[in-house]
Amino acid sequence: MATDFEPRIVGFLCRWCSYPGADLAGTSRITYPPSLRVIRVPCSGRVDPLFVLKAFQDGADGVMVLGCHPGDCHYVEGNYYTRRRYALMHRLLEYVGVERERLLVEWISAAEGGRFAETVTAFTAQVSQLGPWGREGREGRERREGMEGGNGGRRREVS
Amino acid sequence: MIDKIRAKARELLESGQVYCFIGYEEGTRGRVRPAFVYEPREADRLIWDERCTYNLVAYLHQFQPAFSPRPGGVREVPPRVGILVKPCDSRSLNVLFHEEQVEREGVYVVGLTCQGVKVNGQPQARCQRCAERVPLVYDLVMGGVPKTVGREDYVDVVKLEGMSPGERLAFWMKEFDRCIRCYACRQACPACYCFECVAEQLDPLWMGIAIDLPQKQFFHVMRAYHLAGRCSGCNACEEACPMDIPLSLLNRKIAREVESLFGYKAGQDAQTPPPLATFKKDEELAL
Repeated sequence: MATDFEPRIVGFLCRWCSYPGADLAGTSRITYPPSLRVIRVPCSGRVDPLFVLKAFQDGADGVMVLGCHPGDCHYVEGNYYTRRRYALMHRLLEYVGVERERLLVEWISAAEGGRFAETVTAFTAQVSQLGPWGREGREGRERREGMEGGNGGRRREVS
Repeated sequence: MIDKIRAKARELLESGQVYCFIGYEEGTRGRVRPAFVYEPREADRLIWDERCTYNLVAYLHQFQPAFSPRPGGVREVPPRVGILVKPCDSRSLNVLFHEEQVEREGVYVVGLTCQGVKVNGQPQARCQRCAERVPLVYDLVMGGVPKTVGREDYVDVVKLEGMSPGERLAFWMKEFDRCIRCYACRQACPACYCFECVAEQLDPLWMGIAIDLPQKQFFHVMRAYHLAGRCSGCNACEEACPMDIPLSLLNRKIAREVESLFGYKAGQDAQTPPPLATFKKDEELAL
């Protein structure tokens, strides 16, 4: 596998645990690969499996869904649903040919800055091993790169 | 048997117990089509034989009020409908009862025991896998005592699981490449009843509407996932598909995983919530 390949990883981080965890990693000056694009969500339960599909459809090489540890959800039960959804989603994606290693669901608390950095580092290495996601992924990426600057794909900036 | 169905439909319509009776009638070119009988004298149009594959439960939605009233508002009572169901259809009916899409009091269910149906004279693979020969929900059941039951062994699903990820991807890409995004699978499905489907939603544009391979691929994954724990295995989607995409391979994979992960089978009753709408605090799921 090409060593200069830097995967594009989309991360859905829960606003109460994993996002502050990522913040902690930053303020603690812990380095981790810049491959991760963070999307902050109110709760890991907000992450509709459709979001993950959309990310893969538009050329992400890997997707992370990070939330509070089960039992610690700010909304009491959001991540229990996440756990069930993604247990199934993992198996379904694997079945249609998306390698299991491209999707990571992990629980990271606001105090686990170090573990956040480790998780991202390990996941980036794992996805780099697999290479870019599919022929379609590469094509999608080329299309998107050709489109950047314009708004051809009706894509909006996410702040 | 046909006479009994016709007599029952006539009786229900004459007594005003139902406003419409949904069954099957003779179509063109030796095929069968769904029949909507409103007049007692028309009940003789109804037929029942092994060509009656359609899942009529999908037509119940059009008899339901479009929106529930505001709190305190007057509830619109949908007209009562009579319907013929096979065992597989009865499972979809249970799913709709649980999801409050159809009221139990709003339908008169005439259940039919079933020995399997045929498409173009060919026995259906799903019927050979079907372990239920008697409907799970009915007001009245007709038909003889079934002799044989099928068994689900997931041979084809296991075979696909045994492939490498690359081979599986190639297999599915070949299948999905034929998709023309006609949404016949969705229209035929009794459990697909959203007013606005994400596949056609433009803002936000979740599923691209281009006939483009990754979009087609994930449209099918999305469709199958939305039916997780809700698909009764009636195979209406696959039968409706003009491009012969093996959608049952996807649906049955999910059914299998749902059963192994959560011990749940769709449509067995109208009370148990589907697995993704509930949770257990201390379950171990491999993520």
